[in-house]
Amino acid sequence: MRELILFGVLATTYLMVIAKRAPALIRSFRYQSFFLFLITLVAGYTEKQINLYFIALLILILKVFIIPHGLNLITKKINVEENLGLFVNAQLSLIVALALTYCSRVFSETLGFGMDYRLAAITVAFSVIFIGAFLMISRMKAFTQVIGLLVMENGIFLFASFVSGGMPFFVEIAVFLDVFVSVIIMGLFIYRVNKLFTHIDVNKLSSLKG
Amino acid sequence: MQIFFILGIPGLLALTALLVKKQRIFGILNSIGYLVVLCESALLLKKVVLSGGVKLCGDFIHLDTLSAFFIFVISVVAFAATLYSVGYIRKDVETGIISEKKAMVYYVLFNLFCCSMLFVPAVNNLGILWVAIEMTTLISTFLVGFYSSKESVEAAWKYIIICSVGIIFALLGTILFSYAFSLSGGTSSLNWSSMVASAANMDKNILKVAFIFILVGYGTKAGLAPMHTWLPDAHSQAVSPISALLSGVLLKTAIYAILRFGTIIIKGVGFAYFAHLMILFGMISLAISCGFILVQKDLKRLLAYSSIEHMGIICIGFGLGAPLAVAGALLHVFNHAVVKSLMFFGAGNVVSAYKKHNMNAIKGIIKAMPFTGVMLLLGMFALTGFPPFSIFISEMLIIISAFSNGSYLIASLLLLFLAVIFGAFIYHFGEMLFGNIPKGMAPAGEPLSGKIAFLFLFFQICVLGIVLLFIKKDLLWIAQNLFQA
Repeated sequence: MRELILFGVLATTYLMVIAKRAPALIRSFRYQSFFLFLITLVAGYTEKQINLYFIALLILILKVFIIPHGLNLITKKINVEENLGLFVNAQLSLIVALALTYCSRVFSETLGFGMDYRLAAITVAFSVIFIGAFLMISRMKAFTQVIGLLVMENGIFLFASFVSGGMPFFVEIAVFLDVFVSVIIMGLFIYRVNKLFTHIDVNKLSSLKG
Repeated sequence: MQIFFILGIPGLLALTALLVKKQRIFGILNSIGYLVVLCESALLLKKVVLSGGVKLCGDFIHLDTLSAFFIFVISVVAFAATLYSVGYIRKDVETGIISEKKAMVYYVLFNLFCCSMLFVPAVNNLGILWVAIEMTTLISTFLVGFYSSKESVEAAWKYIIICSVGIIFALLGTILFSYAFSLSGGTSSLNWSSMVASAANMDKNILKVAFIFILVGYGTKAGLAPMHTWLPDAHSQAVSPISALLSGVLLKTAIYAILRFGTIIIKGVGFAYFAHLMILFGMISLAISCGFILVQKDLKRLLAYSSIEHMGIICIGFGLGAPLAVAGALLHVFNHAVVKSLMFFGAGNVVSAYKKHNMNAIKGIIKAMPFTGVMLLLGMFALTGFPPFSIFISEMLIIISAFSNGSYLIASLLLLFLAVIFGAFIYHFGEMLFGNIPKGMAPAGEPLSGKIAFLFLFFQICVLGIVLLFIKKDLLWIAQNLFQA
């Protein structure tokens, strides 16, 4: 069961890498968050912890519904073309993503995470983090950076839930709210950038240098 | 007990700022509030140094000498910034750059920003420490993009994205630390006080990887090269009092976080690992900032690169690790905070009078604004490590300790970079301070509260520079107390 869900997380991450348009990217992010929700739910069931149910609920509300919905609204409101502007084309991006997954596998082996399902989980977590970072630097539009950040955060969350049974409960909640607030603020700044520059291409934000 | 005042007053002031409509009155109220914070933090520092650490709220807040010291530094700069803000914001309102309403928004954000920064050294839990540092980024983004010009919004966007990514890596590092801690038999608490206690039993391999994530993550926030790219943009575009806060103390809160993890690493893995990484990043920062300072054309960016340089020096000081060097690095944290705020206040006056950042267009500051000009001249000498100012002493301590450790390469590179930067500063400021005033520039006034802020800061670097010559022994004792490595 767990392996299947982990596979889902990884597959949706690859979907994001090959997405060329904003709605597709946001949809894949929604699926990824949904798989994260399932994993937390299963973990809550096997470990019999109320905290985990609560966190699963938070993931469902914030990451599956509110944040993707908000991002969809932004893409509609600012009325720019929906193409993401790929610096690295989809095929090449996929190859990079596969290479990153392999690196994560090697990395988690050197960290010494046994050979059971934990190794697979940690590998998936690291690859989600690295692929999120890759998404941020290889796409032109500003909201890809926001989604890349959210993907990295999902990866970290996955990682935290598989090592040492997660962080203390109140820390987890605080991190959650922090990420939520930061997404709102970034959305606000996308608006402002669009208003001032009439585009949201981050590669054209280059008046400050030296 | 003092800590509740220190954290509570900025919070209360933020609430009051929502209710008060007149920015003039609130500016003065704000200064009084931060004067109280400053006194309380001085009392706290004294109490902690004399009678050991304080634990409050079921170990949620844990203060030792290091945290009390950082709180003190933050409140010194925050107090000076409130004084300077009074005149600066009033002028902006009078010239119609910002509305009265927006001035109050500034004060709300200012107080929230200070509150989150003061929170960082006070908490015991490393997860909450992460949250507090992320909060400082989120709040200060609005202050960087405050003027809503193209440049400032661009700077704010880069700032929030680069720092958020950096800090995500720091979160990963924090989780790895907690994993290593739970393997060694600890509970899933993230308190540094208990982590340090059982550091020796932790898995070395994991600790090493974790510390690299921490150093890259919080290093981004601390402006260490090569993760510094957000820093010159954000510092040059922010409101001037905020530039001072960003450069003077925000970078130091990130250094504080690195040091907290550093103490665990030193106990768990050994000192050499910590030292090599710190010195490596410090040297890269020095080298990169040195190049950019030489060719810089923008006044506030010049000061921002100088901050990267000083963060490098601080890292090298901590990396050397001898009590003398650690004492020097701690002193440097304080000195740099004070001098850099002084310089940013001066730069703020200059920019608002000349309406330009470009150093080629700024001439004859001493004639146009005698007080600011003299302060900038003295501050420039202080910043580049000229005696009798206090930065001279802290840099001296670090260099002496490097020589007596036998790290000749580090010491000579440090001296080389410092000499080049000194030359560059003399050149840039000589051009700006002297010469004739450009035609058509009206003489600009210098508000009284701004002058008080300058004198307050200048007094500290001067007096400290002289007093420290005589009380070196006590300082060493404190440093040894801190860093038994």
